[in-house]
Amino acid sequence: MEFKYVGKSITRPDAVKKITGKAIFLNDIKLPGMLHAAILRPDYAHAKILSIDTSAAEKCEGVVKVVTGRGCKILYGDNIRDLVPMAVDKVRYIGEPLAAVIAENPYQAKQALKEIKVEYEPLPVLTDALQALEKDAVLVHENSGDYWHLPGLGPIQGTNIANLYKLKKGDAEKGFKDADVVVEAEFNYPHGSSCAIEPHGAIAWFHEDKTIECWSSSICPFIIREELARVYGRPSSDVRVHIPELGGCFGYKSDITVEQTVAYIASFVPGRPVKWVASRREDFTSTLLGHGIRTRMKIGAKKDGRLTAMETRVYHSTGAYADTGIHVCIAAGHNSAGAYEIPNCDLQAYLMYTNQPAVGAYRGYGHQESQFATERMMDMLARKLKMDPFELRAKNYLGPGKKTAVGETLCEVNGDVTKCVDIVKKAIYGKKQEKKEDDKYFYGRGFAALMKTPKGAPNSAKGCYLKFNQDGSVCINMGGAEVGQGLRTVVQQVAAECLMIPPERIKVYTEIDTQFSPWEWQTIGSMFTTQGGRAVVRCCEKAIKMMKKTAAQALRVDLDMLDYNGKCVYLKNDPTVNVPLEGLVYGYMYPNGMTVGEVVQSSDAARLPRYSNPDENGQGTMGVSHTFGAQGCEIRIDKETGEVLVDHFASAFDVGRVINARQIRGQVAGGVMMALGATLHEELKFDKDGKMLNPFMKKYRFPTIKNRPKKQTIEFVETPETIGPFGARGIGEHPVIGVAPSILNAIYDATGIEFTQIPVTPEKMKEALKARK
Amino acid sequence: MSEKITLTVNGTKRSVEIDGWERLLDVLRDKLDLTGAKRGCDDVACGACTVVVNGEAKKSCSLPAKRCDGAEIVTIEGLASGTEVHPIQQALIEAGAVQCGYCTPGIVMSLYALFTKNLNASEDEIEDVLEGHLCRCTGYEAIWEGALLAQKLLKKNKKK
Ligand code: FES
Ligand code: FES
Repeated sequence: MEFKYVGKSITRPDAVKKITGKAIFLNDIKLPGMLHAAILRPDYAHAKILSIDTSAAEKCEGVVKVVTGRGCKILYGDNIRDLVPMAVDKVRYIGEPLAAVIAENPYQAKQALKEIKVEYEPLPVLTDALQALEKDAVLVHENSGDYWHLPGLGPIQGTNIANLYKLKKGDAEKGFKDADVVVEAEFNYPHGSSCAIEPHGAIAWFHEDKTIECWSSSICPFIIREELARVYGRPSSDVRVHIPELGGCFGYKSDITVEQTVAYIASFVPGRPVKWVASRREDFTSTLLGHGIRTRMKIGAKKDGRLTAMETRVYHSTGAYADTGIHVCIAAGHNSAGAYEIPNCDLQAYLMYTNQPAVGAYRGYGHQESQFATERMMDMLARKLKMDPFELRAKNYLGPGKKTAVGETLCEVNGDVTKCVDIVKKAIYGKKQEKKEDDKYFYGRGFAALMKTPKGAPNSAKGCYLKFNQDGSVCINMGGAEVGQGLRTVVQQVAAECLMIPPERIKVYTEIDTQFSPWEWQTIGSMFTTQGGRAVVRCCEKAIKMMKKTAAQALRVDLDMLDYNGKCVYLKNDPTVNVPLEGLVYGYMYPNGMTVGEVVQSSDAARLPRYSNPDENGQGTMGVSHTFGAQGCEIRIDKETGEVLVDHFASAFDVGRVINARQIRGQVAGGVMMALGATLHEELKFDKDGKMLNPFMKKYRFPTIKNRPKKQTIEFVETPETIGPFGARGIGEHPVIGVAPSILNAIYDATGIEFTQIPVTPEKMKEALKARK
Repeated sequence: MSEKITLTVNGTKRSVEIDGWERLLDVLRDKLDLTGAKRGCDDVACGACTVVVNGEAKKSCSLPAKRCDGAEIVTIEGLASGTEVHPIQQALIEAGAVQCGYCTPGIVMSLYALFTKNLNASEDEIEDVLEGHLCRCTGYEAIWEGALLAQKLLKKNKKK
């Protein structure tokens, strides 16, 4: 297929506003009469609140109101309603909102916080899922069984188990009996932060007319709207949520994170907007974390390399509230089967309450943590079988006619893992390794295959409004959150291709406002290109049809005699007979002044064509569409410092169709870097009392430009998908999935050291090298 | 204890009342409505707040506003002329270095300070400067290419 605009590296429509510093982010917004909130966090990660004395704080300069959670009855959450906007009678983690000061400026609010006195009765603290699972462990939620939750999931009363996910495919016990070889190991992917450079923030305003307005650095405006409406007893139409420009998301700005707390605070000063923006410390300690996942895995295989069975146990330290972590944990359960067809699976995932900040979405969640185990295990298994790891993998890859762990049979449109593998193999293993070691370095190469499952929910749609203007230019309005990933460019290019109009004449929305934007479930799971793109295609087709219909009346011919070319609608057998778009978009006027036709504005949405919640054995359909990929690397390990240097990182994904060549490369390069951070540098650490030890960018060891791979190979396979525009599927999360296992496989190749935990920091590497000697 | 300081910002002299606790970033953002410089961290790590003070790139979140009295400041708002963006901005756009854009103004200002002082900065010097800027989106690849392209464009412009 020849494309005019799709596949080209057009410049993103928001580039100039951003690079001139004029793009408006949450913290740039000022509203008339705006107040500022500061939030008090507790001294303990788990404690009963005996008393809170706010009297001194109330007297401080500029203070308008001091708020506590006393008597607050609000519970919220999308999956398990276990969240509170502010601690009521106990605190469950170190970043929990405990009280707030509202003042005329942020400095005054922060100063007054210091005057609040709290008495606690400390309780034992849980900082790991396995600890929380112990028989006599203290309970993080005493009455978790009472919480509302979606059917088919939820907490087990009297335990710290917030959910237990079980997947059964075939007969794992028998599968292991049939195996000639079994490998078993435990892996750990510790807590991290999405750590966008823009921290979380929100503004809430309870108007005198009982409507509620909210601005947030979130990607889920409609979820926020629905939840605020429910909690404050208003119709959804009375809640208006604005999403300004977002300074990165990577997962942790999804769901409701800070909005309920800011709204609760603002509800005490109706009539005035209240703004709160997280410090970086608060961003680490009180917004969503990523990962916190231990995976125990057992794989059985025949001598010839065919896999017979897999047993996985995921233990997820999901933090003090489980609403946002539940899908992370479930995803880690079923995605542990990776890119392979395994006939017999017994996969379980324990979602465990702990006294830590809640875990939520993080780019790729559930995939990188569990497939870290899978891909390390495939290498281990290959060694045990004395088989080439590529050959072992090739015997088991998913593909057309093969069944995933959730029991979904794949077909050709789900993409081709082997083509991705070939690309990476050639890039990394194409020539012989020059040396394994010299005076300064050890050298190694590693590989990982990967599979990304789609993310959906029943009726999870993305909407689109399109209108033609008098001059034939077009405006498109959608509810998808632009976080930097470049979805506006995707919309522009897809629409340009469909409408045969140059992208410069298509204006894409700049902000989301639930009052004007079409409904979108939420912009998560790398689904926008596929689903949002389909909505755009549908709107364009509708608009073209409207113009043709009007032209048929104008020219007095049958509809199917006409065609459209982006400039006019014309008679197929004689293009000189035509009506230009300008004469059609607001209806057609005959020379005698009579008018016909419709105003060309169209609206549509794209739902997932099929999605089913899993049955009691975790069998169901995931919606559309699975994506396959492969990643590999060449590394060097500095013998003296222990530092792992990435000389070359290669990635290949079957993305169905590349919409914007430069942007997609940027997505992959960014994702790889983010996961390299997790693999080699980043970890949020807690002491045994649940205090976070390093809630600072420097101490979190956020990677810098000097940590980037020296060379990156980034290529794409294009097996068209059926839903996505021109066959495209998403790519946002995929680049993080195979990074940790490929690097750790390379470390093994270089040194024979079998790491099962990340990050492999220089200190850890040095220690391991010493222990080896 | 409010006091007055005078700054020359993007060529215009401006006086501001401050309370004393403010950093330069607070003054620029809250008092002068120059919100292009961003805050991203608490420990002077991210570089999103970078502006040019007396010719040097500075992390404005760490500079007490008091100490800036009399200073000559250039912010991201002062770079483009009319609708024409600065060559550094143009280069970063061309390289695809803008994703969310939150780190971008700071990076532009650091490169501006560097290339104004030394247009022949070596790759190592450029990398050292960029090391002070954290970006979560791009993986730094496009930023690196954009910086090199910016240097090239600026050199070309100078020859003209
Ligand atoms: S805000 Fe991060 S360095 Fe200034
Ligand atoms: S472009 Fe988003 S942080 Fe750099």
